Formats: sequence, C-alpha cells, structure tokens
Amino acid sequence: MKIVLAEDNEILRKSLSFFLASKGFTVDQFSDGKEALNAIEANSYDLILTDINMPGISGMEITQYVRQSIGSDIPIIIFTSSGVEQTELDSFDIGANEFIAKPVSPAVLLVRINKLLNKRA
Amino acid sequence: MNNPQHPIPHNEPERLAALKRYNILDSLPNHAFDDATKLVAYICGVPIAHISFIDESRQWFKSEIGIGVTEVPREISFCQYTIMESEMVEIPDTHTNERFKDDPNVIDGFKIRFYAGIPLTTPDGYNIGTICAIDHVSKELNDNQRNALSIIAKHVINQLELGTKNIDLNTQKKIAQRAVHAKDNFLANMSHEIRTPLNAIIGFTDLLAQTKLDTVQRDYIESVQIAGENLLLIINDILDLSKIESGNLKIDEQPFHLKKTLKHVYNLLKVKVPKDIEFNLFLDAEMPEVVIGDQGRLNQILVNLTGNALKFTEEGEVTISVKKLEETEDRYALRFSVKDTGIGIPENKLKTIFERFTQAEESTTRRFGGTGLGLNIVKQLVELQDSKIQVKSKPDRGSEFFFVLTYKKANQAELVAEPLSGEHLHKLKILLCEDNVLNQKLIKSVIDNFGFELDIADNGEAGIALLSKNEYDLILMDLQMPVKDGYQTTEYIRNEMQLTIPIIAMTAHSLVGEQERCYAVGMDAYVPKPFKQVVLLDAIKTVMNKDSMPVQKRLVDLSFLEEMSCGNLNFKQEMIDLFIEKIQMEVTQLEEAFHNNDYDRVEKLSHNMKSSFDMFLLEDLTGCLSFIEKEAKLRQFTTETAEQLSLLRSEITEVVKILKEL
Repeated sequence: MKIVLAEDNEILRKSLSFFLASKGFTVDQFSDGKEALNAIEANSYDLILTDINMPGISGMEITQYVRQSIGSDIPIIIFTSSGVEQTELDSFDIGANEFIAKPVSPAVLLVRINKLLNKRA
Repeated sequence: MNNPQHPIPHNEPERLAALKRYNILDSLPNHAFDDATKLVAYICGVPIAHISFIDESRQWFKSEIGIGVTEVPREISFCQYTIMESEMVEIPDTHTNERFKDDPNVIDGFKIRFYAGIPLTTPDGYNIGTICAIDHVSKELNDNQRNALSIIAKHVINQLELGTKNIDLNTQKKIAQRAVHAKDNFLANMSHEIRTPLNAIIGFTDLLAQTKLDTVQRDYIESVQIAGENLLLIINDILDLSKIESGNLKIDEQPFHLKKTLKHVYNLLKVKVPKDIEFNLFLDAEMPEVVIGDQGRLNQILVNLTGNALKFTEEGEVTISVKKLEETEDRYALRFSVKDTGIGIPENKLKTIFERFTQAEESTTRRFGGTGLGLNIVKQLVELQDSKIQVKSKPDRGSEFFFVLTYKKANQAELVAEPLSGEHLHKLKILLCEDNVLNQKLIKSVIDNFGFELDIADNGEAGIALLSKNEYDLILMDLQMPVKDGYQTTEYIRNEMQLTIPIIAMTAHSLVGEQERCYAVGMDAYVPKPFKQVVLLDAIKTVMNKDSMPVQKRLVDLSFLEEMSCGNLNFKQEMIDLFIEKIQMEVTQLEEAFHNNDYDRVEKLSHNMKSSFDMFLLEDLTGCLSFIEKEAKLRQFTTETAEQLSLLRSEITEVVKILKEL
C-alpha cells in the first residue's frame, strides 16, 4: 500500500513516515503541498494523508484538485491543528474522507487508514 | 585691464573658499533673500532683480525676479565684472557701453539695457556674489536708490553670516550635549561600579566591628563605618543626579497610599529625632487615601527635606504637613510642607541653597555633614513632577520648604492593584534567623512596617526549634551565624524536616558564588545587606506567590513519540535531537518576526511549531502558540503576546534541558 504524506513540520512528518513504514506501508513524504500534488499526479497512490497549512499549496487545495481536476476518489485524510469547527466541515465538503485533529494519535490514524483502505478494497 | 576674455579676481582661490564657507550654493529658497530682491526691484523700479553667487563656473541665483533660470555660465554673466570691483557698477545704457554693447545678453537674451550691481563682500573682503537691478530701458539711479542698494547688500551679507553662525552654534550645541551625555553616563556607571565594592567594605567593617576589639581599634572601626556610610550617601546622590540629568529618571504613575507613605516617612525619621525636638505630622482631614503618582520620589523628597530640617534644628519643632488645596473631577492639588524652628537661612542664600555643593554657610558641611547634593536633587525631583520647590526662611527663626503636587485620582480597582505594600499578602508570620542584635532590630521594624508578624531566633539551632513548634509562612535567613549557619540550617530544614517553606537568604556581603550556593542548598531568594525595604518586600512577594502557585517541575511525556517510533530507540533519539536542534532556532525566528511585526511569519511559524510540541504532548506550549497565532491572525500584538512569547522561550529552555538530560 502506497501512501503520500504531505506535512511541513519535519519532526511530525518523519515520525508519521517512520510509524506508517513500520506498519508496512510505503510512504512518500513531502513538506511542500505543490510537490505533493505533483507526485500525486505522476504516480498512483492508495491514500493521501495531508496537513492543511503548508508552503506551496494547502491540503484543502490538494483535496479540491484531486476530486475536481483529476476526478479521483482516492481516500484522503486531512489532519490539522486548527481548532476551528468550520475547517472540519469544509474538509468534508470538498471531499475528504476523514478529518483528524492534531495531535494525531498513531493508533487512531492506523485504524482510520485501514478502515478506508478496506472499504475500498 | 588687458582685456582678458574672462576676468578672474587675483584672490580667486580664497574667494571661492569664502563662498563655500557659507554653504549657500544650491540651497533652497529663503524668504529673507526673496524679500531683499523684491526690495531692490521696488526701490529701483526695475522688472529684473537678483541676488547671485559666482563660483568657478557659474552664476547661481539665490533669489531672482524676472530671470526664470537658476544659474547661467559664469563667462556670459555681467556680474563676473562686478565682483572685480569694490563698489557698485552702474551701466545706465548698455548700448553706449564699449564692453557690453555687443554682449549677447544685450542684443538678445535678457535684452539688458540698464544694469546696476553691487558686489556682495564678506567681512574678510571677498566678493562672493552680487545684488543687481536690471531693466530693458536705459535709466539712472538717484543717490537714495544707490544708497538703499548698498544697505541691502550689507543686509544680505549679514543674513549669510547669521546662517553660518547658526550652523556653528548648532554644531557646538550638539558637541556640548554629547559631552554632557557622556559625562552623565560615566557618572552613572562609575557610581554603580563604586557602590558594589563599597557595600563590601561597609559589610566587612560591620563584621569586623562585631569581633573582639580594643578601644583604639573600635574607635578606628567606627570612623571607617561613618566614612563608608557617608561615601555611600554621596554616591547614591550622584547616581540620582546623573539619572535626572541624562533623562533616565522617569516619574512613576502608580496608585499608592498617600497617608501610609507619609506615615512611613514620619516613622522612619522619628527614630533620629533628639528629645528636645517635637516632631509632627499634620495631615489634612480631607486628604485622599490613594492617589496616582510617584510614591518613591515623594518619599525621597520628604525624607531629604525632613532630614535637613532635623539636622539644622537644635530645639523647637519640625513639622511635616500636607494640605489639600484643590480637588477637580480627576485630580488633587496637595501642598506639602516641611517646617522647622532651626538655624534658618540668610536671605541672600535662599536662591543658592538649591545649587549643587553649596550650603548656606561654608562651615555647614563641617558642622552638619551632608553632600550638598540633597536639595538640588529635591529641587529637580519636584520639577520633574511639574512643580516648583519654594522656601521661606529667617535666620535663627527657622525655615519652611513647600511645594504643590498634582496627583491623579485613583479608582477602587487601582487601589487593589497597588504594588508596594505587603497588604494583600495577609498577615504573614515570619521567622528570622539572625544573630546580630542591631540587624534583628532593623528587620523587626521593617517587617512591622510591612504589617507582618516576626519571631526571632539568634542562630540556626534556635530557628529549627521555633520552626518545629510553630507554623510560619516564610523564613528570613542570615548566612553567618554561630552554632548552625544559614546553609546548614537550610539543609536541615529541607532534608531532615522535609519542609518546603520559602527561605530568603539575607547577607551582608555579596561574594561571588554565594548566591548560587544559597539556591543550591534550597533557598528561594536572596537579599543582599544593606537591604532596601522594597527589595525585601519584593522578595517576600515573589516567594509567597511562588508558594501559592507551586511551580511544577515540568514532565516531558514521551509516550506519543514512543508510540510513533514503534519501540525503535534510535529513531526516538533521532527525533528528540531533531526537536532540540529545531525548536531553539524556531523560537528565535519567532521572536525576530514578532519584533519586526511580521504577522504572516509569526502566524506560519507558530502554527508549524505546534506540531513539534504535539510530539511531546506539551499542551500548554501548544496553547501558548495558538494564542500567538491567533493574535498574528488578528494583526495585533499585545503585551500578552510578548508575555506568552517570553514564557514560551523559558519553557522551551526548560524542556530542552530535560530532553538533553534523558
């Protein structure tokens, strides 16, 4: 299973990658939204895991682009530390499958990822 | 003249230097010159007039009417000839003038028919320019007009001289100001530097005085003590003065208890009053309890004036009185007066007593001591509060010093926030461990003033005995004591008795490393002797607040990181190292962005840093960042933002320290 991870905080990104890799996933990690989107366009992934606020473009824009321009229904999990309710509503509105508030619990993340991937399979 | 193509004065280099001195070339228009030009046109009845200066290559018009250009080449100007002369050059009709009849400016250009020009001659005799009247028709000036023109020329030169003098003056003024500033800084720094070793001298002299001495030695030591204390007074005065002069002394605007302050001054000085003198404090019945102003400075002024009054009065009375003169919606005007029945001041000295290092009689210093700076400081402190000190005096009858200060009214809320009183600390019960009887007395009176209760133990052993019998809120601990010294006592209280009661160290000399040693054995604060009451009170407040909000030793929770790293210790350490490396850099960047009011960057950085704190479950710091991020989003930083930021910095330092020790 191949996951694309977009997160600009280096420590969190590396930790999540390490964690997911330990659980058997292949993770491509990006700190810049634009680069993540380029990779999504160029490769085929099973799941997108993205932060909202990032250099380049935001996780919201990535989601919007994937759903509208690429027309893909690849599972997307958005996580963010913005505590605003509207952000969560907006995330689902533009087509994200899951919304997780930071700090992201690794166990919870794993459960959600598996749920999304199983449903699809 | 050898009919030179372009006439050059024989003293041309000096002339040019003279011109440069005035810094007039290419300067902005100035109406003093414009007025002079208008006057020339008006007096001579001509359409064209100008004031111009001639440098190496051009004639530059400082002011002109009817010319319309700012400069012309020197070689085509009429005035290049005028500056060769010492008097006015007048050409009634250029068409009949051999030199000019074929000049381009005559046939063509300005069509000059009439020209009158006077050289502008500097006081040292150089013709730097001209003042001219020009017409398109031929004419002749009468004597009055010629005379007026010469007078105007002189005025123009005066104007120029004035300009350079002003520049010179300004330069001199700046130099003088810089010198004064440097002097003040020097004084302030020196006083500070001198005070530190002096405190040690006084402290050790006190210690020496407590040892076994013979009569002669005791006499010597007492002289040293008196001299040391006088020197300290002088240095403190100089420090105050230099602060005032360098503008570093700011008048506080804080609510304070006026009556309490006055009673405090009274009580402080009461102990010094000889028994033949009646010492009074008269307060207006309508005087406000609390006002907004500078309590410390009022204190200083009154102590100084009253101290003087007591010094110069051998019998009779000294009275401090305060009267409410006026009350408006938001202000009180209060008259403060210090009156004595002392030796008085001769009328011819009434003014000079406020000057530095002057006292009414030359012999005063010898007879009464003092630095001769006190009244000058008082005068300046009163003036800094927008008032004026006044004095009435008759020799042998007494003196009265008085001034009127205007204080803002304080409301109830501000009263609660009053900073310099032990009030809100309720009635603390304090234990003092101190062997010196004089110090015991001093601290007792100070603690009484604060409104606290005090028990005294002569040494550490006795202190421990009292502590096991009674409940105390805090301990003041002298370091050098017989039987059990301050360090041993503290160690015993912390280790054997297992008590967390706040302990403040008090010591007469501040040795390097002493403070660290106090903290190391478990004391909470450190007050050097001779101590200031405010410093002691602040220390008490600090440790009591610490006590009411116990500072938890921060625990860094690694469970999250451990979950993430799936038991891989190397990866865990790698992440910790990465955090330590990044977070300190990031907080520095955040501080920079904050100081530059770079809202975008602050928002981005604080948002990004949150995820790093999440890794270590540092929720309070994430909260700190959320607050800063929110403020950045709102595009306004407040003092709260700055506080959160400095909190963040210190907490990060703590976290990093803990992480490094893992």
